[in-house]
Amino acid sequence: MLSTALRNTLAHKARLVMTVLAVCLGVAFVSGTLVFADSTAEAHRAAASKNFADIAVTVTAKESPSGGAADRRSSVLDDALARKLADVPGVAAVEPSADGSAALNAADGTPLRVRAGANLAAAYVPGKDGKDSRYPLIEGHAPRHSDELAVDRGTAAAGRFRIGDTITLATDGPVLAKRLVGIVTTEDTRVTAGGTLALFGKATAQKLFASPGHYTGIDLSAAPGTDQFELARRVTDVLPADRAEATTGAAQADQQAILVDTLTRGYAKLPLVFAGVSLFIGSFLIVNTFTMLVARRTREIALLRAIGASRRQVARSVLLEALLVGLVASAAGFLLGLGIASVLPDVLSADGNTLPHGPLVIGPRPVVAALGVGVGVTVLAAWLPSRRAAKVAPIEAMRTAGQPPSATRSRTRAVTGLALLVLGAGRLVSLTGAKDASEENLHRAMLGCALLVAALIVLAPLLAAPVIRLTGRLTGRFGITGHLARENALRDPRRTAATAATLLISTALVAGLAVIGNSTGQALDRQAAAGLGADYVISSRTTTTGVDPAAVRRVADASGVRTATAVTDSTLFVGGGVRDISGVDPGTVNDVMKLDFVSGSVKELGPGRIAVSSTVARETGVTTGGRLNAGMGRNQEFEKYTVVGVYKDNPIAQDALGDRTEVAKNSYMPGSVQRILVRTDGSAVSKTTEKRLRTAVGNSPLVKVQDREQLVDEAAGTMADLLKVMYGMLAIGAVIGALGIVNTLAMSVAERTREIGALRALGMDRAGIRRMIRLEAVTVAAFGTLLGLAGGLFGAWAVGSLAGGAMEQYSLTLPWGTLLLVCLLSLAVGAIAAAVPARRAAALSPLEAVAG
Amino acid sequence: MTVDPFPPHPLHTPGIAAATADLTKVYGRGDTQVVALDRVSIGFREGEFTAIMGPSGCGKSTLMHCAAGLDSPSSGSVRIGTTELGTLGDRQLTRLRRDRIGFIFQAFNLLPTLTALENITLPLTLAGRRPERQWLDRVVSMVGLAQRLDHRPAQLSGGQQQRVAVARALVSRPAIVFGDEPTGNLDSRAGAEVLGFLRDSVRELGQTVVMVTHDPVAAGYADRVVFLSDGRLVDEMAHPTPDRVLDLMLRFSGGSPQTPACDARSRTS
Repeated sequence: MLSTALRNTLAHKARLVMTVLAVCLGVAFVSGTLVFADSTAEAHRAAASKNFADIAVTVTAKESPSGGAADRRSSVLDDALARKLADVPGVAAVEPSADGSAALNAADGTPLRVRAGANLAAAYVPGKDGKDSRYPLIEGHAPRHSDELAVDRGTAAAGRFRIGDTITLATDGPVLAKRLVGIVTTEDTRVTAGGTLALFGKATAQKLFASPGHYTGIDLSAAPGTDQFELARRVTDVLPADRAEATTGAAQADQQAILVDTLTRGYAKLPLVFAGVSLFIGSFLIVNTFTMLVARRTREIALLRAIGASRRQVARSVLLEALLVGLVASAAGFLLGLGIASVLPDVLSADGNTLPHGPLVIGPRPVVAALGVGVGVTVLAAWLPSRRAAKVAPIEAMRTAGQPPSATRSRTRAVTGLALLVLGAGRLVSLTGAKDASEENLHRAMLGCALLVAALIVLAPLLAAPVIRLTGRLTGRFGITGHLARENALRDPRRTAATAATLLISTALVAGLAVIGNSTGQALDRQAAAGLGADYVISSRTTTTGVDPAAVRRVADASGVRTATAVTDSTLFVGGGVRDISGVDPGTVNDVMKLDFVSGSVKELGPGRIAVSSTVARETGVTTGGRLNAGMGRNQEFEKYTVVGVYKDNPIAQDALGDRTEVAKNSYMPGSVQRILVRTDGSAVSKTTEKRLRTAVGNSPLVKVQDREQLVDEAAGTMADLLKVMYGMLAIGAVIGALGIVNTLAMSVAERTREIGALRALGMDRAGIRRMIRLEAVTVAAFGTLLGLAGGLFGAWAVGSLAGGAMEQYSLTLPWGTLLLVCLLSLAVGAIAAAVPARRAAALSPLEAVAG
Repeated sequence: MTVDPFPPHPLHTPGIAAATADLTKVYGRGDTQVVALDRVSIGFREGEFTAIMGPSGCGKSTLMHCAAGLDSPSSGSVRIGTTELGTLGDRQLTRLRRDRIGFIFQAFNLLPTLTALENITLPLTLAGRRPERQWLDRVVSMVGLAQRLDHRPAQLSGGQQQRVAVARALVSRPAIVFGDEPTGNLDSRAGAEVLGFLRDSVRELGQTVVMVTHDPVAAGYADRVVFLSDGRLVDEMAHPTPDRVLDLMLRFSGGSPQTPACDARSRTS
């Protein structure tokens, strides 16, 4: 049977091209993503080990259990320790460092590449030769005085800095101004991958990041022939046991690689989602192709059966053919995947987060995954057609025409489909009464949607006739060609349905996502501003820094400002979850937040007394007057807090409200301020006011000033990812849908050669034939799109009501533009996919009618 | 009914529905070259039922395909009425086939998705014309299909399908109807019916019919039989009867009257 399968595959290679392409696409996404992930991880590792190449051991202060800022001053990392370490045998050089982070303003006053973990700051510590070997100077001189700084070449270029410029920057609060005196180079990948580096004089850096005379770390390089671990052991012996510790460079490199890798790992998720979608949709194409091949070969298979082939042999030959196709497709897909992997870093670096470049690393994992996925999906998808092939009776070798599907089979189909439909729709409808988007409800919603799509796929062949008759009213306008196109599309409803299934699924997914995304986005928009009574929000750009507390006064004093209230954000541990708590001043909070209290009042806030949002109240079962066991901020002890009020969910107030003094005391950054909410006189929202506020916060690069509109835009920005996924899926669906239509039409044209010849002989011109094929394709595409739209919209409605329970401002809004785009794209897919088969059909000679 | 089989200038003769002059068709080139038609000149008179006969591979189908504008000759000319086909492009040829020529195929070639009536009126629909009610009724009743007009081809017997094809060929009042072994797929009774309709269309409607066949009985329905051998016209017979046709064929084929149907593909390969 192997040779039969092989010969069949070769004989039908043109027919199988589309199948191969579809599988190839999915495999390419899978293997491309995996190779990319491996290569990136390897590049990170290489970069990290480069960063620590010269460092054998680093000595750092040991965190004492009590923690806190007090440690800074009592650090043991001083020059005395550095000298002591230099005497340890095997130490070649000692390089003390005072590191931290510093965010810079570019020359035009805007924050420069401000991102957590990417804005390095360090001390320039001259060695014996007066130079710091870690930072070779290329221009100017090293920073010495407290008002001087140096930056690396990349930072200087990005910020448009010149020697002599004054640069404003912030390390963790107040804004500083320093003069640029030198430009250095660095190979630290955190900087070269789109970060910044600021170098200060030793004393300045010590004051900023440690305390005068102390360092944050001491790097040691090893003398040739000295082992890192051996050196670390020797160093540990000289260190005060509970005050400092030694870490090897290799360990630090590993740590950094893991950190950077986890930061960038998320990039791989999206392509994997696409891989899943394309393989799922592609499997319909595979099923369809093999079904058509089996149908075409019915007589041949019957003949094989008549001369003694067993059912199993017939089925196996189909599966073998699928295996061959899967192998070829996987191999091609893997190569394509390598291409994807090599361009992905550039694509993903578009937003400035440069990923390190490195050679492609091809591990065994992507190879196995590509083969497994490609071959697995193909063989699995060919299983049903192979069963159908096995069912071919020997007698069919004698029959001339194919038998119409039996009535019992379509009845079974109707019953199964309706059952699935009722189950799925019922599940979804039952959710409309749900109050919240709990995990359990979401799972039920997802299952409901899956059932709904399955029902549509099962019912599609039965729905084909009525739906296509309906669209036939439109194609009927094209006269006899439209009439024939409609009838041809109806000729084999199962084939039409299977061809349309790809578009059905992608349309359903995209329409559903678009509606939910649009509705959620608008709700978020409304919500973002709904809870805000203030006109401006001043907040920190990174999670590790706050707003200079001293700036609150200056903001309040700025002209045009009526109220400026500081808010300290921290965390509240309740039950098993972490909640966000806003520390506010009960006296002024009503000026800047629109709080809608279900019960209780914000006036009662104070030490030990908090208010919670209705979601928190519902989930913890606490009510006004009740007591809540919770841990605030870094306070590890849980305490009983009295709940003085429950307010409707409010993104500005977050999950809970507390007294600012108390929240600030327990914050990880004690005494810090995360937000300043500003109310202006008579809502004087203007560029001038905004500028005044910026000046009031010292134009700090760490701080952003946003009005309501900007706040809303930022909230809407979270929807951008969803949009990306949506359009990606639409594109994949369109491509595979097009492949499917090309496939089916090519097969149909081949089967109808004689008929098309007759039409030509009877006087239909080439344009008529082309139009007929094109209209058939558009009809099939429209059918899939209509069903998909119906399913997607229903699903979105049901899931949306779930969101409505959780989101105050949610209401179903249809993104007409996107939906229209989806419809037009699907029809275009049909028309474009028909191009080649239509041309082939039009080229047929009328003699085909009399041939054979 | 005596017509010179080789009229000197058929293109100028009045009353001729279609004619070929020095028609030559060559397939392939070099060693594989096959001359299917060798300077064939023949005219088909209006209102006459002509049968083209000859052994397998003699070129009779090729002659019909070229005369009907389905295939283009290597040299020579073909005329339908006063229209010279050699000067026509694909679009004009298509229109000519649609408006002036009727076809009946061995394999019926009805469109399975259309009803019998839709199949019959297809040439008119393609031309964007409405069928004349009276004429349609007459054609339909002549082939005895009045009760089956709503059926799809799959619901009709072979004989009925071919009757639909006959009606389809006649409905647009073509200048000439070509039949390619129209009874080749039918049993003798159904075949006789179809041939009867064709003869009636000639007698009663004045239709011109040209039919390729290898069946002496079918040829017996014609007014005239022309014989082809090796791509040349070799003989013709007026008012044929099956016996006389059989006699003549036996003479050509050296004793064996069994001449399998001309297979269009076997010629070219």
